[in-house]
Amino acid sequence: MKDESANLSFRLTLPAQVLVLFISVFPLLMQAYISLTDWSPLSGQSWTQAWAFWNTFANYSDLLSDGRLWSALGRTAFVMAVCVPIEFMLGLGLATLFMDDFRGKRVFYSILIMPMMVVPAVAGYMFFMLFQSGGPVNDILSMFTGSPVTIAWLSNPKLALVAVMVADIWQWTPLMFLILLAGLVGVPEDQVRAATLLGANPLQRFTSIVLPRMKTIIGIALAIRVIECFKIFDTLFIMTGGGPGVATETISVYIYKIATQDLIWGYVAAIALAILIVLSVVCVWALKRMARVRA
Amino acid sequence: MTRSLAFEVFRYAMIMLAVAVTLIPILWMASMAFKPIPEWQATGAALTWWPKAPTLDNFRFVFGVSNSDLIVALDRTALKPILASFLAAGIGTVIAMTAGTAAAYGLSRFGSGGNLPLALVQLRLFPPMAVMTPVMIMWAFLNMTDTWWGLALVYGIVTLPFAFWLMKTFFDDMPREIEEAALVEGCSRARVFWRITLPMMRAPLASAALFVFILNWSDYLIALLLTTREWVTIPVYMASLSSSMTGQLYGAKAALGLMAAVPPVVLGVLIQKHLVRGLTFGALKQ
Amino acid sequence: MSMIRLENLVKRFGAFTALKTMDLTIADGEFVALLGPSGCGKSTTMNMIAGMETPSEGRILFGDRDMAGVPMGRRGVGFVFQNYAIFTHMTVRQNLSYGLRATRRPADEVVRRTNAMAELLQLTPMLDRPAAGLSVNILQRVAIGRSAIMEPAIFLLDEPLSNVDAAFRAVMRTELKGLQRSFKQTMVYVTHDQLEAMTMADRIAVMDHGVLQQVGTPLQIYNDPANLFVAKFIGSPGMNLLHGRPVDTGGEVAIDLGALGHSLPLAPEQAAAARRAKGDVVFGFRPEQAARVGEGQGMAMPISFVERIGARTILHLGEGAASAKTVFENDAGFEMGRALHFAPHPSAVRLFDAASGAALRGH
Repeated sequence: MKDESANLSFRLTLPAQVLVLFISVFPLLMQAYISLTDWSPLSGQSWTQAWAFWNTFANYSDLLSDGRLWSALGRTAFVMAVCVPIEFMLGLGLATLFMDDFRGKRVFYSILIMPMMVVPAVAGYMFFMLFQSGGPVNDILSMFTGSPVTIAWLSNPKLALVAVMVADIWQWTPLMFLILLAGLVGVPEDQVRAATLLGANPLQRFTSIVLPRMKTIIGIALAIRVIECFKIFDTLFIMTGGGPGVATETISVYIYKIATQDLIWGYVAAIALAILIVLSVVCVWALKRMARVRA
Repeated sequence: MTRSLAFEVFRYAMIMLAVAVTLIPILWMASMAFKPIPEWQATGAALTWWPKAPTLDNFRFVFGVSNSDLIVALDRTALKPILASFLAAGIGTVIAMTAGTAAAYGLSRFGSGGNLPLALVQLRLFPPMAVMTPVMIMWAFLNMTDTWWGLALVYGIVTLPFAFWLMKTFFDDMPREIEEAALVEGCSRARVFWRITLPMMRAPLASAALFVFILNWSDYLIALLLTTREWVTIPVYMASLSSSMTGQLYGAKAALGLMAAVPPVVLGVLIQKHLVRGLTFGALKQ
Repeated sequence: MSMIRLENLVKRFGAFTALKTMDLTIADGEFVALLGPSGCGKSTTMNMIAGMETPSEGRILFGDRDMAGVPMGRRGVGFVFQNYAIFTHMTVRQNLSYGLRATRRPADEVVRRTNAMAELLQLTPMLDRPAAGLSVNILQRVAIGRSAIMEPAIFLLDEPLSNVDAAFRAVMRTELKGLQRSFKQTMVYVTHDQLEAMTMADRIAVMDHGVLQQVGTPLQIYNDPANLFVAKFIGSPGMNLLHGRPVDTGGEVAIDLGALGHSLPLAPEQAAAARRAKGDVVFGFRPEQAARVGEGQGMAMPISFVERIGARTILHLGEGAASAKTVFENDAGFEMGRALHFAPHPSAVRLFDAASGAALRGH
C-alpha cells in the first residue's frame, strides 16, 4: 500500500516536475555556461560553441561597474518604494469602506477590481493615450487650472516616470483592495464589538484588534506586489519604451534592451544569473523568517 | 452596526471617486475605439469624451477593410493574432491545468512531491526576462520560435504554479471521506479519481482554468520575445501597429485593445470569489 | 441609576419583526434572565440594550437617561459574548487590562486593578499566558473579568454557558451568581436553558416569537404560568395540558375531560375562574403534583412508557391529545400497559382559556 501510493504520487507529479526542470535546471545550466563567455547570437556560432569566447568572470566584473544596470536597479527600487505603499494605503482605505453592507456594494466591488484584469499591455496603451499632451489627463487638469494645460508627460524624463507609476497604481491598487478586504472580513466582528464596548475608539480598535489579525495577510499582499513590481515591464514598455533616453528604464527593460538590441547574450546571462541568485537568497531568507515568526 | 449619515455620505463620495478613476481609462479607450479618424488626435477644445460621429471603421480596419481616410493598408489583419492569442493561451492553459492538477492531487493525497512546491514558488518569483534568454536559444534550436505551440508550452510552464497551488487548495478542501468510502468499496484509485473526484471538482477546475487562461491571455513580454511575425499575439500585434505615414493608429489600436480587454474582465467577474485564492497562491481563501 | 427601562421596544429587520412591543423594567442591582427558544428575540433585545442594534421603535432608558444615539462605547455596559470574543493575539493580562488601557487610565492603576481582578477570578497564575491556547473555562472567566474590570453599572451576558460542558456549567452557575453578588451590578442574562434562568435570576422574562410572554420570579413563572407557552416551556417535563369543559355540579366545579372522565372538584379559586370561562378550557397540572388514588377516583390513563432516572420515575401516560406525564419520587412497580389512577392536587391545578391560551385566574 505504502509503495503503491508513493509510486502513484511520483507518477502524478512527474509531468509538473519535468516541465519545471525544462524551464529551470536546463536553462540555468545553459545560462551559467554562457555567462562565462562573450558569446552572442551574432557570432555565427551555435551556443554550444560558446567556449570559443571564454572570458571567465569578465562579465561579472563588468556588471559591477555597469552604471546603467545600477541605475536601472535603483529606478526599479524607487518605483517599488513609491507604488507599493501608495497601493497599500489606497487599497486598505477602500477595503475599510467595504467592510459592512450598503446599497450597490457588489456592483461597486466588481467595478473596482476591473483594472487588475485588464491585459497589462492594453493598460499601458490606455495610459499612453491618456498622457498625450493633448490627451484627457491634461484636459482634466486644465479644468482645474482654468487655462489649457499641455504637459508632454511621456517625453519629459521626470514626468514619464510619474506617468508610469500612475498606471501601475491604477492597475494594482485593486489587487491590494481585494486581498486586504478578504483579510478585513476575516477579522471576528465580535472582537471588534468587544473592544468598542470596552471604550476603544476607532483608531485603537484598528491598531489593537484589526491590524494584528491582518499581519499575515498584509505580509502576503505586500510580498506579492513587491515581487510583481520588481518585474515591471509590459505597461511601462508600451507607454515609454524605457525612455525618454533611459528615464524609465527598469531592470526588466534594461535586460530586454541589451538582449534584443545589443545582443550581448553572454553579458545578459551574467546579469540574469546574478539576479536569480540574489532573489533566491532573499526568498529563502524571507521564507525562513516567516517560518520563525509563525513558530 | 449603526453608521452615521455623515459616514454614509463620505463612503459614497469616496467610492464614486474611486469608480470614476477606475473607469476613466477604460472608457476613454472604449470611446477612442469608436471615434473616426479626424477625432483621433483632437486636442484642446476639440477633445471630446464621447465620439461625435461614432463609427465601427476602426474594427473594420483591423480586420482588413481598407479605410479611404487612411492611406495605409495593413499588411496583415488582426485575425491571425487573435487566433494566436486564443491558441497559445488556450493550449497553455490545458498544459498547466493537466500537469498542475495531477501534481496537486498527488501532493494533496499522498504528501510527497519533494521540492516541487518551493520550486513552483520560485518560478513565479523570477522576472521572466531573467530566464527567457536560454529559452529563446533553446526554442531557436528546436525550431519552436514564432510558433503557437512553442508559445503555448512556455505559457503552460509559467502558469503551472498558479494551476498547481489553486488545485491543491481545492483538493485539500475536499473531504477525503468520500474517496475513502469508494476505496473501501473496492474501486481502484484511478477509477475513484475519474468517477468521483473529478466530477466533484468540476466547478473548481473550471474556475482555476479560467484564472490561468486570464494570466496567459494577459502576457506580453514572452510573446514579444518568442514570436516575430507569423504567430504574434494581440498585445504584440497592437504595439506594432503604427505607420510612418499616419503615426500612431490610435483608433485602430484602441479597438484592438478593447477586444483584448473584454474577455479577461468578463471571465474575472465570473470567478470573482476565487480571485483572492488564486492571486495569493491559495494562502488566502475568501 | 442603573435601572433599565424598555418602553414599547420594537425591532424589525426588513419585513421580519424580531421584537414586538417589549416593555420591561429592570431594577438597579437586579439579575434578570431573558429566557426563550432560539429566535425568540432575546438576543436582539440585549443587543439593543448594548447599542449594537438600533430600535425600530420605542425607547431604552438607563435610569432617566434616554439611550437613543448613545454609541455602544459610551453606555457603560459590560458585555460577555456567547463566544467570549477573547483577543486571542494578546495575553490574559492584556485582555483584562484592555479597557483600562483604551480609556487611558494611569499605568499604576491599570496594574493594580488588573491584578485585583485576576486574583478575584483566580487567573493570577496564567496572567502572562497567551489567551489563544487556554481552555474554554478560563476564557470565560477572562471574558467576564475583562468586562467587570471597567466596573460597568450594567452587565449583559449572552448565553455565556452554552459552550461549556454540563459538569462545568453547574459550577459556573453558582460562581456567576456569586460574582454578581460581589459586583452588585444590574445583570441581564440571555439563555435558552431554563435551569440557568431558574437557579440564577431574580426575575425571568420568558419570550417567544418576539413577544414577551411573562415576567416574574422563578417560582411565579413555575407555579403560575401566564399562558400555555410558558406552561409548556418551563419545567422538565413541562406542564400537562388537557382539553376540557367546566361542569358545575351545584356547589362544586370540576372539569369534564371527555374520555378521561371528570377531574376532582376544583379548589375555590380555580372554581371561580372556571365559572367565568367562556367555552372550553385547558386543564393544566405539573407532572410532579399528581398523586395516585384508588380505582374510580380521579383520572385513569394507561401507562405507555416508564422512564426510570434514579431518584425519580417519569411515567408517560396515554397518547395523542390525551397524553400526560407524571413524576414520582419512588418506583412503585409501574408496568407498561396497566392503567394509572391518579389525581392532581386541586390546589396545583391551573386553567387556561382554550381559545387564547391565557391563564384563567380566580381573582
